[in-house]
Order: sequence, then C-alpha cells, then structure tokens
Amino acid sequence: MSMSDKIKDLDTFLVYSMTLEEEAAERHDELADMMGVHNNPEVAATFRKLAHYSRLHAQEIRDRSEGHDLPVIAPWEFGWESMEGPETGDISAVNYLMNNAQALQLAMGNEQRAFDFYDQISRESPVPEVAAMAAEFAAEEKEHLGMLQAWMDKMDVSIDEKRIDLDLIKMTD
Amino acid sequence: MNPSSTNTALKFKDYKSETKPIWCPGCGDFSVLNAITKALAQLQLPLQDVALISGIGCSSRIAAYTSVYGFHGVHGRALPLAAGLKAARSDMTVLVAGGDGDGLSIGGNHFIHACRRNMDLTYIMMDNEVYGMTKGQASPTTAHDWENSKLTPDGTGVRSFKPAALALASGASFIARGFSGDPNDLARILVAGIEHKGFSFIQALSVCPTYRPEHAEWKKHVRKFETEATGDPMVAIQQIVADDGMSTGIMYQRDLPSLERGGTSPLAGLAEFESEFEL
Repeated sequence: MSMSDKIKDLDTFLVYSMTLEEEAAERHDELADMMGVHNNPEVAATFRKLAHYSRLHAQEIRDRSEGHDLPVIAPWEFGWESMEGPETGDISAVNYLMNNAQALQLAMGNEQRAFDFYDQISRESPVPEVAAMAAEFAAEEKEHLGMLQAWMDKMDVSIDEKRIDLDLIKMTD
Repeated sequence: MNPSSTNTALKFKDYKSETKPIWCPGCGDFSVLNAITKALAQLQLPLQDVALISGIGCSSRIAAYTSVYGFHGVHGRALPLAAGLKAARSDMTVLVAGGDGDGLSIGGNHFIHACRRNMDLTYIMMDNEVYGMTKGQASPTTAHDWENSKLTPDGTGVRSFKPAALALASGASFIARGFSGDPNDLARILVAGIEHKGFSFIQALSVCPTYRPEHAEWKKHVRKFETEATGDPMVAIQQIVADDGMSTGIMYQRDLPSLERGGTSPLAGLAEFESEFEL
C-alpha cells in the first residue's frame, strides 16, 4: 500500500506530518547530545540548530491542526517506507569525530527524503486538500534544502575530511 | 487510552530522563531506548507504576536514561532483582534490561530460571554480540570465528548461544526479537511483551559501531518473520533453529503457569521456618 493510500484524509496527513517533524527534531537533539557528550561542541551546536528548525516546523503543523480531531496512530502503524520517519536521521551514520559539513550532509539527506515524501503525496493523493498541503510542505522542504546547501557552501571544512581516531589506532596496532 | 487525544497524555519524551546517554555515537542502544519510551507512551503507563531494572554493561546504563523508577544493579543479577520487586509489588510494570554478556554469561543461570518461573517481567536483552564496556571481548552470542579481540585472535572456537532457543527450552512464555534500526517495530514487540502475562523475553539486536562496525550490515539482512506468535513450542523451535538470527517479530507466545499465580494454600510464617532449624 502506498503512502497516499494510507493517508486517506487531512487529519491523518497532519498526524503523519507532525510525527515526521517531531521525530526529526528528537533525532537531531539526540545527535546533538551524542556530540556534546563526546566533546564535539561545534557539531553538537549544528545538530541543536537543526533540531530547533524541525521543532519550528512541527509547531507550525501543530498550529494548523487546531480544531482537528486527529487520529491516533501507533508508531509501527505509520508504515514509513524506511524503518523510521523520512526526516529522521540515521543514528548509525554518525561518528564522534564528524565535522559540520558531514553533519549538514546528513541533514540534507533527511530533508531530501522529507521532500520526496511530501512530493509523492502531493502528486498521488486523491484528496485535494491533502495534495495541496503536501505540495506546500514539499516546497518548504525544498527551501530548507536550499538553505542547507547555502550553509554548506560557507563551510570551511569538507565532507571528505577524515579525522584520525587515535583510540582505534591504539586498539588495533 | 488514546495516547494523543489530550494535551495531558504522556509523550515518549516524558519517559526519558534529563541524563544524557554516554553511549558511543551511532550505538543501537539509543534506538532501544526510543523503542522502550515509545512503548510506554503507547500504553500510557504512569511513570510511578513502572520500574526498569538493569545489570552492568553499556546497555545496562539505560535505567538512568528513563524517568521511570530505575535500579542499575549488579552484573548478571538484574533478573533476580526484578523478580524480587515484582514479588513485592505485583501492581508495577517491571522491565529488565541488559546486554548479552550480562544476561547469558554472568547472569546465565538467572536467565534460565527467570524463564521457567514465568513471573510477569519484560526482559530486553540488548544483544550486540560483544562486551563493549570492557573494550570488545567475545560474548556468549559472538560467532565462533570472530577474530577481532586480542583475547581470542583466532576466534573463540565455540558455538554461540541462540538466545531464543535457550528461552524456549527454559520455559519462557513470550519470545521475540527486534532490531535497534527499526525502533517502531521494536516498540510494537515491547507493547505486546509488556501486555503479556508472564515472562517476556525480547532479544533486541543492537548495533555496536565501535567494536562491531560490521553490524552496519545488519539493516540489509534483518527481515520480519513470515508467521508470528505461535503457541506451539515444536513449531517455534523449528522456526528459531532454522533462522539465521536476523528475523524479527514475536516467535512464541503462550499462556503458561507463573510463580506469581501459584496455589492458594496459606504461606508459612517465619516462625514456622525457624522452628525447623531448632536443635
């Protein structure tokens, strides 16, 4: 069953969108915490900022949900096409030595998947109001992607940079 | 209860504490924590009605990262601690967590007896196939030919445990496997395990990015069991033995007698016990 088949009405779409954004924010916070605990304050600050942006978007959706009777969907009933929500960063894709460019690359992947999700709904949903709101959210995600790219362009570090993990060298020598 | 029908409903974040995990970035245990908190939110269990008891090891730190009652116990002894709590407070939901070494080596004997006693506990074994906290030694679930530890440079040479088979043989009444990379499905399994009346054993495959970086491949191999939750131990054991350990879902579920549901005869008082020791 495709996502647009699962999302049969606007209320369901709002729950999907809100969950997508809230879980993205939570993951960015988790990644910020990981980096903070492992003494990588620059990348921690970047993930924290990304969490803030995700929360702003979640709040926007929450505001638009005022007056709606939202359905309850258990975490496993969303049936996301990946194992977690489209904008939730892969927790296994991080390393304590990662730099800000690599953090932004991860975030851009998340935004791209969110864009793909909304874009697909906007094209396939048989419900006009769902398709319209999905198109609006897809445009926002595209805008976020552009902003992240601009941020990335200003970075003085590269995604190709490899930092040496002294612990691992010691472990395997 | 409808988890999001009111503003006062508990969210999964409400079940997390303010203590930040010190697990390695990328550790699967973060996702197991997420799955546990999502399951508790789904069940809307009041914080004061839940306890999470753990042993020792990386994964056992999880008790500090939740906002329910917690007890970070002794190595391998999480299950007897939890059993004691459940015996004293049968009204509480008691979760137990620990790693594969904690549960199958140091606490191996407690594990098999917890299975057969079938007390109403939910035991989450966070299995990363390695002792992580002590810098990467082979555990009871490590494959015999894993050569990346200086202690066992040619591999252990001994076969690893199949935790689900051990649980079944020992009398557990609910046996399941989840994957840290799929926290939503793991939350589903946890909800079923918590709702099950009896001992629920949930093996959570949890990626160790530091000492078992090859676990990154797990997400390519994990798949769901085609059939779930048989109550027939013969069917369950065939499925468990035939599987490569990468299938997830509820493997076995059956209503079995529990130590808590013992007979109705009145218990002997302390004085009666003491009298037996009189010379």
